[in-house]
Amino acid sequence: MHEAPGSLGDYRKQIDDALNDDFLRRTLDTFAVAYKANRKAVFEEIDEHGLIRQIADAKDDACKHMEELYEQFKGEAEKRGVIVHRAKDAEEANNIIVQIAKENKAKFIIKSKSMTAEEIQLNHALEDAGMVVDETDLGEWIIQLRHEGPSHMVMPAIHLSRYQVADDFEKETGEAQDREDIQKLVKTARVQLRRKFIAADMGISGCNFAIAENAAVTTVTNEGNARMVTTLPRVHVALVGLDKLVPTLDVALTALQVLPRNATAQRLTSYVSFINGRVNCDAAPEHKKTMHVVFLDNGRTEIAKDPVFSQIFRCVRCGACANVCPVFRLVGGHKMGYIYIGAIGLILTYFFHGKDKAKVLCQNCVGCESCANVCAGGIDLPRLIRDIRARVSEEQGGGAQAALLASVMKNRKLFHTLLKFASKAQRPFTGGEQFQRHLPAMFLGKHGFKALPAIANKAFRDMWPEMQPRPQNPTMRIAIFGGCAQDFIYPEQLKAAVKVMGAKNIAIDYPMEQTCCGLPVEMMGQRKTSVDIAKQNLAAFDPSKYDYIVTLCASCASHLKHTYPKILENDMNRAEALNFADKIIDFSSFIHDKLGMKSEDFRKTDEKVTYHASCHLCRGLKVTEAPRELIADAAEYVPCKEEDVCCGFGGTYSMKFPEISGNLMNNKIKNIDETGASRVVVDCPGCVMQIKGGMEKQGKKVKVQHISELLAENLK
Amino acid sequence: MPTVNPELVEAFCAKAALVNAVVQELPNMEATLQYEVDVCEQKSPAEMLDDEPGTPKGPLGPNKVPTRVQKIVAAPSLDDADYAVLEKECQEKGFLCIKNGLRKYLAGIDVGLSFAEAGVAASGTCMVDNDNEDVRLAGMISEINIIVLKKSEIYPDLPSIADLLRKRMSSYLGTFTTLITGPSRTADIERVAAVGVHGPLELHIILLEDQHNA
Repeated sequence: MHEAPGSLGDYRKQIDDALNDDFLRRTLDTFAVAYKANRKAVFEEIDEHGLIRQIADAKDDACKHMEELYEQFKGEAEKRGVIVHRAKDAEEANNIIVQIAKENKAKFIIKSKSMTAEEIQLNHALEDAGMVVDETDLGEWIIQLRHEGPSHMVMPAIHLSRYQVADDFEKETGEAQDREDIQKLVKTARVQLRRKFIAADMGISGCNFAIAENAAVTTVTNEGNARMVTTLPRVHVALVGLDKLVPTLDVALTALQVLPRNATAQRLTSYVSFINGRVNCDAAPEHKKTMHVVFLDNGRTEIAKDPVFSQIFRCVRCGACANVCPVFRLVGGHKMGYIYIGAIGLILTYFFHGKDKAKVLCQNCVGCESCANVCAGGIDLPRLIRDIRARVSEEQGGGAQAALLASVMKNRKLFHTLLKFASKAQRPFTGGEQFQRHLPAMFLGKHGFKALPAIANKAFRDMWPEMQPRPQNPTMRIAIFGGCAQDFIYPEQLKAAVKVMGAKNIAIDYPMEQTCCGLPVEMMGQRKTSVDIAKQNLAAFDPSKYDYIVTLCASCASHLKHTYPKILENDMNRAEALNFADKIIDFSSFIHDKLGMKSEDFRKTDEKVTYHASCHLCRGLKVTEAPRELIADAAEYVPCKEEDVCCGFGGTYSMKFPEISGNLMNNKIKNIDETGASRVVVDCPGCVMQIKGGMEKQGKKVKVQHISELLAENLK
Repeated sequence: MPTVNPELVEAFCAKAALVNAVVQELPNMEATLQYEVDVCEQKSPAEMLDDEPGTPKGPLGPNKVPTRVQKIVAAPSLDDADYAVLEKECQEKGFLCIKNGLRKYLAGIDVGLSFAEAGVAASGTCMVDNDNEDVRLAGMISEINIIVLKKSEIYPDLPSIADLLRKRMSSYLGTFTTLITGPSRTADIERVAAVGVHGPLELHIILLEDQHNA
């Protein structure tokens, strides 16, 4: 298994290694694209969101009744002659299983895949006790031969090439392998492992669903190894996390419609077995199998009581959060988790393996929400990762950086004065231009993958008094939430928006007390400051005065609309936050859905314009049609490959992980280039900053703009 | 009288084919037994994946292990009358036909016959009562697993087999039920699909007309 990184510096070195692994990059790239298409196809046949909701509700309910379900399972199991154990932590679970092996004089042990066994490092414990343990899932067997941990929860050896596997098999068997032929390599495993199945005294399986009503252990596999592990040896031990308890068979059957579809885009895996009780076994005394079920707590009963984090127990270990994660796609699972991989892995590491293992790992989420969009249990993964960051930074006492940040952000005037000061201080580096092109490279280091934008000479808020439209009988009243990037770096985007909206006889306000939305500090785990900023904005806007609060920044919009009510959940400002959130709308939806602007409002040119779907718009706010239709009203819209994959900005993420951010950006630019468009428009100034900076750095001519600028230019 | 829903049959066939199952519609058990014997005759002899003292070894198979000299057909859940027919057919072809004691042949057998209690159209799945160890083994260690499913017992989706499944799992004697969808498969090396890892290399599903309808 691999080590969890101790510092950001170490971690970035590890990430560099992964980024230079051409095989890994190619494999994960192909996988990411194929997975999305395959997944879509198998979900078309079922009610995806309805089923995910059902799973979430059923598992939330199971979590609330964990103790009762455990008692029920135990009672039903005992009626069927099965022995049930409960371990409070990894050590206790390992001891129980070693003891079972000893009592049954079991020396040879075979295992089917179990992430829970990985969690407690069961193999080490058994081997230390003198037993011989063989993994039988092909991927698990490969990584066992290599003494590695899994790099994916479902495909543990996805990081390895056929040649690496062939090397390992040659070492293990002493026979030359057909190095090109994967089918033959699979057969090597068939031949090698059959003997081990036959010789084994004890089989250890995991359990996907522990069904309380009839004490069934459910295993889900494709290879058929779990059936053999639970059939051939005379003793079967199932290791089960307490979170796997579900009340009824129906819950398992509901989840089974989503789990394989989400994991590997299969309608069902080849073998799903339900085992309850001592089935007959000709290798056992009295021809009855000895069956033990070991439930593992390892912190689960505590987490189950947590109002926010208990939702992690909706996880069915499908691995979809890794499959769609743009960061996983670049660096692979060994760099994106400790034992549990992917978005859920960043969270579980904190709870099951401690703060030290998690503190650096939990920083590596770009916040694109791809995982939340596909999670089989509807877990709000990006939010929980931010919550973990907040816990980690709180436990570490914040430090000087946090204190400085807090004092600046608490005071809007100070914050804005500093931004304005920056516009003057940067002058020697910009030569009055749009980018800080003369900033000495030595200061940039790895951040040099894009040109950094300059702070505008005049902020939007300072232009506003002369610009504000004042219609006589407005049909609607709105306020603009500007956001720092547009107020201070790209005021032209807001200016363009005002031109477009102003054409429709509406009153527009720009409350001057508004400040940063708070997302950047939230991403840094500075929860207190984040709440403080939220309250400043709630005070700045009186929602009752406006029909809508329009924002041109998808990230701000998503944060204001979804995160404010959550971080203020237990606050006296909660009602206010909900009223405020209710009025928030993104620019494209406002123009398209609320103002009803369409082709007759614009001059349609023959310019080829493509689109980048900002994470917080297409997933955060679920807005997909409005911007594309608006582009097509004003120009010739040419779709771009992987339009909805993150550009890599992620706010402060691009500074913390410049290598990953730069790679994501390069992919984005490559895809945009391939469309042949002369312009790409987006709904978020952060994406503009990232993509425009990259285009500038690479000397590309493609114009990068906010969609408001295209619409303003072609407004009739 | 059990009814057959042609739409479910069609959906089942389509989904089963997508997971590399061979679906064959046959009128009755007689044809099924004949099919089993034919399949066994046409296949190359099973590879012996472990030593089996006393069993003659044939030439090396594709995976460089000895093959069986005498092919083996296992049909543990067949009723006595049908078994007698199968046994006779096998004897004529020189196959060993067995009903129990499959543990003696864990190195691998040629064809195993199982019966499904239900089918699931949404995924081309067969639900097999595996309580009996020999039945379980027949579907596990055979190179070709043949599952017989009555057309009238195809259900639309997983939730619709819940009651059936729950009923059998309520027994205190211990139950083992498997939902089988295609042959044993993996994509663990470079995500390249491969069938026949630990279990059957091929899955054949016989869709049987109901006796009453036939």
